[in-house]
Amino acid sequence: MESQYQNIYHEVIEKCRKGDTKAQFELYKLYYKPIYNICLRMVGNTVEAEDVMQEAFLKAFTKIDTYEGKVSFGAWLKRIVINRSLDQLKKRKVKFEELNEKIPDEEPVKIEISEIQMEHLKKTVQKLPDGYRVILSLHLLEGYDHEEIAQILGITNVSSRTQYLRAKLKLRQMLHKEELFEYN
Amino acid sequence: MNDELERLILNNRTSFQDEEPPEGHFERFEARLQKASKPARKIYFQPIFKIAAIVVLALLIVNQARIYFFPEKQNAFSLGSISEEYREVEFYYTNAIQLGMTQWEKLKNDGMISKSDDQIMQKEQAEFDQMYRKLQEDLKANPDDERVINAMLEYYQARMNIMTIIINKLQEVKQQKYQNNEIKI
Repeated sequence: MESQYQNIYHEVIEKCRKGDTKAQFELYKLYYKPIYNICLRMVGNTVEAEDVMQEAFLKAFTKIDTYEGKVSFGAWLKRIVINRSLDQLKKRKVKFEELNEKIPDEEPVKIEISEIQMEHLKKTVQKLPDGYRVILSLHLLEGYDHEEIAQILGITNVSSRTQYLRAKLKLRQMLHKEELFEYN
Repeated sequence: MNDELERLILNNRTSFQDEEPPEGHFERFEARLQKASKPARKIYFQPIFKIAAIVVLALLIVNQARIYFFPEKQNAFSLGSISEEYREVEFYYTNAIQLGMTQWEKLKNDGMISKSDDQIMQKEQAEFDQMYRKLQEDLKANPDDERVINAMLEYYQARMNIMTIIINKLQEVKQQKYQNNEIKI
């Protein structure tokens, strides 16, 4: 499906190369939604997410000549957006390693998966600490493997794996807590 | 259970992608796009400005170098600068002196001139050149002063005369040598 994107929007992309602002706006309309959702999960709030997304689009247009068509345009754009989001997170001094939060290993937190509402799950994911949220999103939702994540975040492969596991534990804990609140 | 949660998220990936940006984002982006497209045009012209700046700078450097390395040409103020007539006079003398020097070189090649004599000649020529430069400066400072013009003319005459005397004498010697040789034979 990714490669189809390339073919479908080829003409628009070519126009963007020539600096056609109409085509650029059109491309924005085509891609803003998935890109915005990536941003939102990366930076965690709507205002910053919009800003980062739009900046990423503008950056993509200025360096569109470097897009060689080896990957789909969407995938290329995605990398720019992720990098741009990481820059934003760096300003907040988010660390993807050394998150020393104590999460007891193998704590048997029981949650009834079937009872989790999607909206609730989404909100809880958004509430995860920055570092966890980013790794969880990159792996589960953007589909990057740990090697790729390690490369993107500049951490080791092992760190990526452990942080991902911790992120999942943290998510479960948070879901569990909220569940209890609801019952009480 | 862990994997169940994972699976739940994976199976509902799309619902994680249906958030809409804050209202008015299209207008805000359009405005940013317009703003960005202007400097983009500037960037397009920038290489031209760069080239222009480089060309201007290169010309300035070349000119400065020319002034630095060939100050005579730039500031040359000689008899010729005063009037057309003087230019002719100057041309005549400089030619004559030049001719004398080529003859001197020729005689030197014929072995008529010793090394020490040549050195004396070079030294004298250098002195003449120095005198000429001084006169040039005087002339530049007072282009209308008859005395300076006369001094310049006298200088040329003296230089040419000395040159002629020396060359003639040498030619004479050379001639005599030939004759002597012939007599000997």
